[in-house]
Amino acid sequence: MEENKEIRKILVIEDEHFIGELYTRALNKSGYEVKVIADGVEALKEAQTDYYDIILLDLMIPNLTGIELLDILRDKTKTPHLRAKVIITTNLEQREDVKTKIESQADGYIIKAELTPMELVEFLNKIKL
Amino acid sequence: MDDFQRYLNKFKIRLLVSLLIENLIIVGLIYLTVHYLNIGLKETLIIACLLSFFLSLVTTLMLSNGLTSPLKQLRQAILHISPSYNQPIGAPDTNKLTLGRELVSNLISQLYQIASVANKNATEIEKTKYDLSRDFMANNIPLPIFVLDNNENIKFANKIAAQYLGIEVNDLINKNIYTILDMSFPTNNTFDYWLKEVKGNTANSSNQWERVKLNIRDQHPTLYFDLSAYYNVGNPEGYCTILTLFDHTKQYSQDDQSISFVALTVHELRTPLTLLKGYVEVFNQEFKGKLNPEMDSFLDKMRASSDQLTAFVNNILNVARVDNDQMELKLQKENWSEVLNQAIDTIDLRAKVRNIALERDIATDLPEVGVDRLSIQEVVLNLIDNAIKYSNDSKVIKIKSSLNGEGLVETTVQDFGRGIPESIISKLFTKFYRDHHNRAQVGGTGLGLYLSKAIITAHQGNIWVHSKEGDGSIFGFSVLPFEKLSQEQKNLSNDDLVRSAHGWIKNHSYYRR
Repeated sequence: MEENKEIRKILVIEDEHFIGELYTRALNKSGYEVKVIADGVEALKEAQTDYYDIILLDLMIPNLTGIELLDILRDKTKTPHLRAKVIITTNLEQREDVKTKIESQADGYIIKAELTPMELVEFLNKIKL
Repeated sequence: MDDFQRYLNKFKIRLLVSLLIENLIIVGLIYLTVHYLNIGLKETLIIACLLSFFLSLVTTLMLSNGLTSPLKQLRQAILHISPSYNQPIGAPDTNKLTLGRELVSNLISQLYQIASVANKNATEIEKTKYDLSRDFMANNIPLPIFVLDNNENIKFANKIAAQYLGIEVNDLINKNIYTILDMSFPTNNTFDYWLKEVKGNTANSSNQWERVKLNIRDQHPTLYFDLSAYYNVGNPEGYCTILTLFDHTKQYSQDDQSISFVALTVHELRTPLTLLKGYVEVFNQEFKGKLNPEMDSFLDKMRASSDQLTAFVNNILNVARVDNDQMELKLQKENWSEVLNQAIDTIDLRAKVRNIALERDIATDLPEVGVDRLSIQEVVLNLIDNAIKYSNDSKVIKIKSSLNGEGLVETTVQDFGRGIPESIISKLFTKFYRDHHNRAQVGGTGLGLYLSKAIITAHQGNIWVHSKEGDGSIFGFSVLPFEKLSQEQKNLSNDDLVRSAHGWIKNHSYYRR
């Protein structure tokens, strides 16, 4: 990243601890400020209280499913101040109806196994905030 | 206007319309015959009479069939619950109800309403009688039924409902419906959302949902059903909401069962794979060039192997898609040499660790092609992967691409390995087929060529093989230039949203590696 760019804040919602660790390492190296949360409800609280540029959202997380969380993040009455781009990160193939729903609500979608952490960062760098 | 009235009105309209059409046809025919053919008025009238007789016969049959089918169902339902009938008779098949789900569930609700109104002014003895007959009725309707009060607590559930959930009737009563029925709806329009909406606004309302999934605890299999709900604020006994379930577990779960097993397997494979790729990348960043050459090459081999595994996992998934007719391709205008080079770059490392060089000979003046980028790259990867596997001691694989005589963009992958015996060439593109000579020495599942053929066919292209034992093999395929393709499919356009099996990003060209 160029030096004069502002530091991007990113919330990684991911319950596989090692994946969170790898993503944090790669994102930190590229100058992102990272917070990892494994729990759906906690993640929602965090997204409501702190400002983030990007949210990486795993679909299989405890206490709230990723889809439920996505619904809430897109609901202006529940998260009025949220401006983050929401990128779905998953390894599970979705059914058609879920796919359509994700397409209408999320800003991006990636299969985790397809990208190494650094490739993921390159992907995120291309997102215009 | 209640639903039964609506149903009758629909029939009246249908009847009138068919009579009108019938008469118009007859008048038209009389006019035409008198005008253009020299037939006397008498003959014309005879023909018209015969015609009108025939036409009315057809319309009557059609209409009476539609009109009587609910009656037939009703008769069977009555016989089914009649205790004195000497021959046991099966319950009517609710799926065949031409009357419609809505009417069935609304009729049930109406019965409840009538019973509740009657109960209000009844004596104690009469009340018991009414209650008994109502319960008897509800218990013999072959559909799970739940009656809820204003707080969504279950006031009544019939035996079928209890059986359907595997819970005793007594354990259902006075429980909140949401704790008993944990339902997932395919869209945002859910039952609780609807109920909240109608509660404040309307006296009565009804709604239907299809493909509702019931998440049941523990070992129970998932159930799927269509749901019908009826809300009536004015019920004297406070029986506000009535739910009727139409089971479709068999039909709906079949739709995605095989894919869901594969999807789950793939998920389980991908999670450790994500980690493996991540750690290999870390090692590569930290140690590449700082280790001895052997360790360096091991790092490359690890990376190549994890890439190979990723590709294989995608193959499994795509074969399941092909077999289930769920393969989704989006053919778009692409620069072929760019697509091809990107695919070759991906597999370059895999060739390198086996000391095989990938030679590229890609024409520079190729027209833009109409392809699904990721799928077509999977074909390229599969063909090169095969070539690597079957190369034996030869150290070069040639990849060529040019415009052929028919104006198609043709790409070939040539290896100089042992080649394929003529007797098995015709079987190569079938699932699970592998060259038996090589089975002991070469890994793989034999899915690659089967998948490649399916993808190329979906692109309206061709795939073929030329091989001679001892000389190696050439696998080739052709795809259509975009111009040609769009002539055939006029409404093709480049969308803002580029979708694929592996990822997308809104308002941005697709990115992979």
